[in-house]
Amino acid sequence: MDQFIAEARSLAEKLPDNPFVINLHADRYLYLRAFCAALLAGQCTLMPPNRQAATLESLSESYPGTYVLGQGGEETLPCVSADDASVPEIPDQQLAAIAFTSGSTGTPRPNRKYWRTFCAGTRSNATMVLDDATSCVNMLATVPPQHMWGMETSILLPLFAAVAISDVTPFYPQDIADALDALPEPKVLVSSPIHLEALMKSGVRTRSISKILTATAPLSRELAAALEASLGTRVQDVFGCSESGILATRRTALDEEWRYSTIFTLTMTGEGVVISAEHLPEDVLLPDIIELTAKDRFRWVGRQQDMVNIAGKRGSLADMNLRLREIPGIVDGVIFEPDTGTGRLAALVTAPDLNVSDILGALRSRIDPVFLPRPVIRVSELPRLETGKIRIDAVRALFAELNSANQRD
Amino acid sequence: MQGQSENEFELAKLLVDALNLEDVDPGEIDPDEALFNEGLGLDSIDALELALAITQKYSIQLKADDENMQHAFGTLRTLNAYIEEHSA
Repeated sequence: MDQFIAEARSLAEKLPDNPFVINLHADRYLYLRAFCAALLAGQCTLMPPNRQAATLESLSESYPGTYVLGQGGEETLPCVSADDASVPEIPDQQLAAIAFTSGSTGTPRPNRKYWRTFCAGTRSNATMVLDDATSCVNMLATVPPQHMWGMETSILLPLFAAVAISDVTPFYPQDIADALDALPEPKVLVSSPIHLEALMKSGVRTRSISKILTATAPLSRELAAALEASLGTRVQDVFGCSESGILATRRTALDEEWRYSTIFTLTMTGEGVVISAEHLPEDVLLPDIIELTAKDRFRWVGRQQDMVNIAGKRGSLADMNLRLREIPGIVDGVIFEPDTGTGRLAALVTAPDLNVSDILGALRSRIDPVFLPRPVIRVSELPRLETGKIRIDAVRALFAELNSANQRD
Repeated sequence: MQGQSENEFELAKLLVDALNLEDVDPGEIDPDEALFNEGLGLDSIDALELALAITQKYSIQLKADDENMQHAFGTLRTLNAYIEEHSA
């Protein structure tokens, strides 16, 4: 601990004198150290929605004076002695980070995270997800620290609670099992439904995990129950959004309702549910439809229709459709969520002079790769009402018919 | 491009099938072309799905911390060589 503080102090003095930093360290120790050094230097960490060069470039344009850490090529930190190990004070009002979410217009929307926002949020999160643990918890995360879910758990919890974080980010199921085996008990795994489903299906089994924390996408009750049974653990599902941070949790294998932290006030309005809290810089309109059921409980009903969530990334279908239709040669087209349960988007496109590879190639530079529709099926025209509005039920039916015909070929 | 071997073609079919790449003809994948980012443009969810399909078909568990593994996922050819080596 003393060593860590000394290193962060030493690194803070060596950082470029710039206001914004994008921290791309994959090693979680290095990420945490650089994050703390930036705090000490009064710099704000930008959390880009992905690592694509174009994204980093456009962020650097919007935030002049941005530099990137963790892309390699940096000098290693010389050995430092821990002569000043006092825990530094960070001003409450300091802008610690900005997380970006895709808005309905396509331009990433900034969510300001003041240090007080992180402090109050993390203290609340610790009580929600750590069950008043009396001894130090050893945490392993499969999600990157650059994402809000990874930030709130693997970076902030170790700063505010008795949590030790592993520096590795295992990816394949066998890597997760090996990394867990290397940790002392009690062990907590921070993950996402995609990684957990792969773990389950791979047949790799590891016991001795006290608890699995999962977020970023809906977890099915079946998967939650299967994980609990075969790994001998408890699965706590975490609900939140980049704007509010962690909001609520439930044990999905058993619970229907979510229990939210009482630092938040949830209010039903005409537009949806608004979240307010003393530690948030502004009220947040929840991108989900929920039903308030009791003082600190709610039931999740669905997402606002336009928003999709693929692999922990939120995107607006309206925006993706704009990008699709602006491709030269596309006469008409729609990207939508099919009922096939593949977790991917699909598209029906009218473009007599383009083939599917052309369309995908053009989309690749316009939208985040996780949202690339597959399959893309070419049609002579889309089912539209006389008003021009797309009939999404007819789109789904047409897709189901064409897709099964394709698979029979 | 050097042609695909029989095993490489089998793996290409598995890849196209598992990842729903309906615009890609398995026989047309250049065995030396990058699978991720450039080339086929696969992403990390694809990597997990492909790993799972490989585990199911060839009964081997992939590990990213293995340096050979980082190299293995580079192209169809290197991935096939990794599988041939590890499923033996």
